[in-house]
Amino acid sequence: MASDLTVPDDAAATKLSAVISSRIGAWFNVGFFIRAGSLLGFVLVIAYFAVAAPGFLSVGNITNVLEQSAILGVLSFGMTIVMIAGGSNVITGGIDLSIANNLGLSAAVYAVLLKTGQPEGVALSLTILTGLGVGLLNAIAVVAIGILPLIATLTVMNICAGFELVITQNTVLQASSPLLAVLAGDGPFGIATLAYVLLFVALILIVVIEYTPFGLRLYAVGGFREAALAAGLSVQRYIAISYILSGLCGSLGAVLSVALLSGSSTGSGDMLLSVVVTALLGVVFSRRVVPTISGSLLSVLFIGFLINGFQLTNISSYWVNGVEGLLILFAVATTSLVKRGDS
Amino acid sequence: MATTKSDLVLTMHGIVKTFGGIRALNGANLEVKAGNIHGLVGQNGAGKSTLIKILAGIHRPDTGRVSIRGWHCEHLTPRQVEHLGVHFIHQDRLLVSTFTVGEAMFLGAEPGIGPLPFLNRREMAKQATAILRDNFDVRLPGNALINELTPAERQIVQISRALLRDPAILVFDEPTAALVRQEVDRLFEIIRRLQAKGLTTVYISHYLSEIESLCDQVTVLRNGVDVGHISPKSSSATEIVSLMLNRDIDEMFPKKTTSIGEPVLRLTNLSARGAFSEISLTLHRGEILGLTGLVGSGAKELIQTLFGLVRPQSGVIDIDSERTKVSSPPSAVSKKLALVPEDRRAHGVALEMSVRENVTLASLGRFVRFGFLQLDREKATVNDLIGKLSIRTASQASAVRDLSGGNQQKVVLAKWLSRQSAIYLLDEPTVGVDVGAKVEIYRLIRELAEQGAGVLLLSSDLLELLGITDRILVMYRGRLAGHFDPANSTSADLLSCATGTSNGGPHGSACAESLARQATN
Repeated sequence: MASDLTVPDDAAATKLSAVISSRIGAWFNVGFFIRAGSLLGFVLVIAYFAVAAPGFLSVGNITNVLEQSAILGVLSFGMTIVMIAGGSNVITGGIDLSIANNLGLSAAVYAVLLKTGQPEGVALSLTILTGLGVGLLNAIAVVAIGILPLIATLTVMNICAGFELVITQNTVLQASSPLLAVLAGDGPFGIATLAYVLLFVALILIVVIEYTPFGLRLYAVGGFREAALAAGLSVQRYIAISYILSGLCGSLGAVLSVALLSGSSTGSGDMLLSVVVTALLGVVFSRRVVPTISGSLLSVLFIGFLINGFQLTNISSYWVNGVEGLLILFAVATTSLVKRGDS
Repeated sequence: MATTKSDLVLTMHGIVKTFGGIRALNGANLEVKAGNIHGLVGQNGAGKSTLIKILAGIHRPDTGRVSIRGWHCEHLTPRQVEHLGVHFIHQDRLLVSTFTVGEAMFLGAEPGIGPLPFLNRREMAKQATAILRDNFDVRLPGNALINELTPAERQIVQISRALLRDPAILVFDEPTAALVRQEVDRLFEIIRRLQAKGLTTVYISHYLSEIESLCDQVTVLRNGVDVGHISPKSSSATEIVSLMLNRDIDEMFPKKTTSIGEPVLRLTNLSARGAFSEISLTLHRGEILGLTGLVGSGAKELIQTLFGLVRPQSGVIDIDSERTKVSSPPSAVSKKLALVPEDRRAHGVALEMSVRENVTLASLGRFVRFGFLQLDREKATVNDLIGKLSIRTASQASAVRDLSGGNQQKVVLAKWLSRQSAIYLLDEPTVGVDVGAKVEIYRLIRELAEQGAGVLLLSSDLLELLGITDRILVMYRGRLAGHFDPANSTSADLLSCATGTSNGGPHGSACAESLARQATN
């Protein structure tokens, strides 16, 4: 026996199983196919409506879609940032369920302040502060207290809804101001201002999230927390910032919403599902199968064009919810299949 | 050893560390010479990880002195350690899988575009490619995604990440756990190459063979004290093992005293599509039958077939001389078959559940009366098993997650022991387990056989097979290729049969002949 304990023998023994390793061919980049397929799907849908609905591709209609998508888009960006920093696990990962009701609350605050004759600057600042406050509350609940984001933001969502009711008594509050008039009107080339706002906000966030060290670190925190810790990042701070940014997006959406609807309106919470859909669906537009601002912008426009196409071809808008559900299923299934391939 | 002080780049002297009254370290010393590859070995619980965490500045020692590159430090912080040039390569490769190689390497210290605070992805990719090429001769595009890399390539990226910070000392903590053979060789080559450039390495590993072939110096820890300083060039793995265990290696394996009884499991021409064909073998009561083969030899699939996880295509399974079909794991369990799977985290234990619940999970029926669990009887049985297997756990109610790897494996064994099966299928039961726990698992396997069970032990550790089994079967490309008597075979015989380089050495020749004997058995 003792003679068997020589070095090479032992070495061979311990690792025998590995001598011939069956490495199942290096993963051909799945993300590439997912993104290509999704883009192709997008193009096909556009092409179909372009043929089926005359005027679908007119500048006026495209502008219309962009304008209609602005609010959803801004909220979706907020949700995306939270998902980036919180990780893609649907149960334990980052999610901000309060974002739609944050919009409702911030819009109510904005409308009330304008109605009571506060100067534009004061009203706007307090509205933004409201959104940031909601974000901060989420951040405290998730980071400082350590509640699962799903639960934490659900309770904050209820708080927002409650305050909104208190402020508005569940009524529609009319509001107007010079800023709102500009936002609701047309900008250069006769294109709606909101369309510009959507693209501008998207551009800023794409740069910040996808082209700065800050953005890269957000992805690290959400992608592999231990790796981020090992790289010396303060993980908690990045997660907290993501919720605060999401809160900011909520109040920004509120301003756009007050402009579009000439006041605050009830039922903002109904937007939540669409926000979740677009943020999840955005994942399939990225090569790495991760949430991105540009992906979310594409998915917001995709849904916008879909709804618009339905209207133009006289398909009942009741179908929209079902289609959104299917898209969620598609996006989540894709990501979980890719994850399985990874492990 | 004639070492002058100036040679030492890292010293830890008289380190004592207590956690809640338990002494993890009791005056441990570590002296690492500049430019050396220094091994650190010890059983789980010997204090290796505590020592390393103190070095990393994560724990603060109660007493003792640490000095790094001539700096004596009272209170190390992780930042200071990094500033002094000590970097750690962790067992888990801490890289974000959706990042490119460049992003993963530079995360936390990203280059900007000129003075602008934007990510310079091109620069990161370019530098990453250059670093990989210059240091490791590895050609990887800097914009490849981490999840497209092999484990070894990820390991190299991890090392490159550390190299970027200009380290003087690299500490590897169990770096080969996820690597296959060739990748391990490559890692060693890299470590040696770094050594040639003047880097000092501290290398922690379970695999003594690695320590032996790689390290210039080895420190052996036992019970929180350094019990040996060895130069592997002049001594053998045997010496290291006996220092770690404080006992002789021959005592690792229990004496073979079993008397072999009636056949309990007989396979006749069993085949499964694409995995193995025409396997015939007999397992007797009281016998430990070893089984080995390379990946793809079909040995693993054979075990899985017996437990009903893979469906056989043709052939006959007899259990206790009765024709049997094992169609699913529940039917296997009902036929008194027990499986201890290799991937215990995935298949063997429920990590969140307590030790007690895990142990009795497969045998709850025994503790039920009138539809209710009899908790006192359950507790007594579990207590008994914890004692018998020396499972180190705070209590029966502790979550299995909190146990060490070896102790988790013992819980899996206990789970099937509490069921009292007739046939045990053990799939790599000692992978990732330290030497001390291995000894206890071996003793346990022998006990199972002595109580009259048949044990089929699939293992890649040939020494283990030779040490503990009564007979060894080797599979090669889906067929039984050899049949060996451990008493007069060597691991070289087994290896050459398993790799197909010979159809038998002086003892195993007879792969064919011995199989004929076996068939008539």
